[in-house]
Amino acid sequence: MRSLLRIQTGARTDLGRVRKNNEDSYQIEPELRLFVLSDGMGGEAHGEVASNLAVQTIVTHCQQAENSRATPIFGDSQPDVSERTNRLASAIHLANRKVFEMAAANPEQKGMGATIVAAWMEGQKLSIAHVGDSRAYLLRAGTLDQLTADHSLVAEKVRIGILTPQEADASEMQSVLTRAVGTSATVQVDATELILLVGDTLLLCSDGLTRMVTDPEIASTLLTSTSAQEAADRLIELANEYGGLDNASVIVMRVTQKSDGVLDRLKVWKRNSG
Amino acid sequence: MPRLVLKFESSVLKEVPLGTRPVTIGRAPDNDIPIDNLAVSNYHARVYVEAGSLVVEDLNSLNGLFLNDIRVERAMLKDGDSILIGKHHIWVDLTHDAALPMDIWRKAPAPRVNETMVLDTQERRKMLEEAAAAGERSQLSPDRLRCPTLTVVRGRTDQKEYRIAGKLTVIGHSKMATVRLRGWFTPDVAAQINKHEDGFYLGRGDRVPKLNGVPINGLTKLVDGDLIEVGRVRLNFMFHE
Repeated sequence: MRSLLRIQTGARTDLGRVRKNNEDSYQIEPELRLFVLSDGMGGEAHGEVASNLAVQTIVTHCQQAENSRATPIFGDSQPDVSERTNRLASAIHLANRKVFEMAAANPEQKGMGATIVAAWMEGQKLSIAHVGDSRAYLLRAGTLDQLTADHSLVAEKVRIGILTPQEADASEMQSVLTRAVGTSATVQVDATELILLVGDTLLLCSDGLTRMVTDPEIASTLLTSTSAQEAADRLIELANEYGGLDNASVIVMRVTQKSDGVLDRLKVWKRNSG
Repeated sequence: MPRLVLKFESSVLKEVPLGTRPVTIGRAPDNDIPIDNLAVSNYHARVYVEAGSLVVEDLNSLNGLFLNDIRVERAMLKDGDSILIGKHHIWVDLTHDAALPMDIWRKAPAPRVNETMVLDTQERRKMLEEAAAAGERSQLSPDRLRCPTLTVVRGRTDQKEYRIAGKLTVIGHSKMATVRLRGWFTPDVAAQINKHEDGFYLGRGDRVPKLNGVPINGLTKLVDGDLIEVGRVRLNFMFHE
C-alpha cells in the first residue's frame, strides 16, 4: 500500500571539531521510506568501514524483502511486533553478522563495530529498531520523547535506578556500550512501532549530537526550523558550537500532510469543530 | 543543576533537580514531589520544559495553583518564582550551583569523549550485578512481567476487554486497530499505546485522549487503574498477574 502521509526529510553528518575522521554513516531511501543511521567504532578507519557496511547491508536487505517475500529472515522474530518491524530487525541481525565476519577475517579490524538506529515507514505505521546509543526521538504536539533506550552502561544503570540522569550525563563511562553491531556473533535488537500523525517530526541521531545538545534544545530547534533540512543543519551547528567533541549525524523527517479522502476531510472538519 | 525546592512554612522538605523529564506534583506517592495534604489533588500539577522554557501546568486540580500569588492554569516560570499548592510552596531555583541563567539547559561540561568500547555480555552482566548490589533498587519494574488489559467501561467497541500483547496498540476505526471504535466520525487512529522497556505509554492519535480526566500531550506512562477516555469511549487500564 502506498503511504498516505507525505514526508519531508533532511540530514547532515559532521566531523565535529576534535575528531580526525567521521565514523558515522547514514542513508535515506525515499522510495522505500527507510532511514538508517550508524555510528562506527574501532580506531583507524575501521569505524567508518563498520558503520558503512552496516548501513548498506540494512538498506539492501530491506530492498530485497520489499521485492521478494522469500527473502530469508535473520535472527529470532518477535511475536509482539509486525512482520515489517521484524524485517527491519532481521536487517540489523544480518548487518551484525556481516560486520562480525569482516572483522574476524581481518585481524587489524578486530573489535570494530557500530551502533544502528533505523526507521521504516509503511502507511501510517513506523517501525523503529536500534542497537547501541544512537537514538530516535519523536516530536509531537510540542513534546519531545525519546523512543529508544540507549544500550550503554550508564543508561542501563539509570534504568535500574542506581544512577541519576544527571550523574549519567557527567559520567566518564558514557562511551561504554552494552550492545553494538558486529562485536559478537549475535546481537539483541530492540524493535518497536508506532502510528505517525500529520505534524510529527522524527529525529534519528548519533551520540555526537545528544552528548552536546540537551533534549529541550533539540525540541526547540525542531520546533522553530522551517524545514527538515534547516533543522538538521541547526542541530549540527549547535553540537559544534558546544564543543563538537565527536562526529555528529542527524536525520530529520517531518510528516507534512495526508492525501485525504472525503471521509477523512469530514473527520478533520469534525475534529476542528470540536 | 536547576531545581525545585518544596517548602512548608520555613522548612525545606524536598529538593528535586530539573532535568528533561516533567516533574509531577500531587498527593499520590508516585509523584516526583509528593505532598501529603488533603487540599492537594492526586496529580495536581506538573513542571516541564517546552520549547526551551520552563512551564508549570495545573492538571485540573480541585484547588488550583498559584504562581507568585496569582492563580494560573499554565504559566512560564523564571528563576525565583514561587508556586503555591495548598499550603506548600515550591521555589524555582534555576541558578543553583551557579549555572549561568542563559545556560540553564546546557549540558554539564561533558567529560572527555573517549573511544567507544563495548562490553561483552559476561562483562556487562557482571558490571550491572555489581552495580546493582552496590545500589539499593536492583529490581526491574514488576510491570514488565505483568500483562495489562483494557476493559471497556463505557462506549461502543467490538469487545468488552482487550489484552495488550503487542508493542503497539491502536485505538480507533482502522482495521489495524486493536480496540476498534465505531462511528462515522471516528478517526482511524484516535489514540495509541506503546510498550516501552519500562512500561506502557499512552499517546495521541487524531484525537487527544484524556487520562484520568486530563488531556495528555506527550507520551504518558500508564499505571494500574488508569482511566483512558477517547471520544465517548472509556477504558480502564489494569495489570493482571
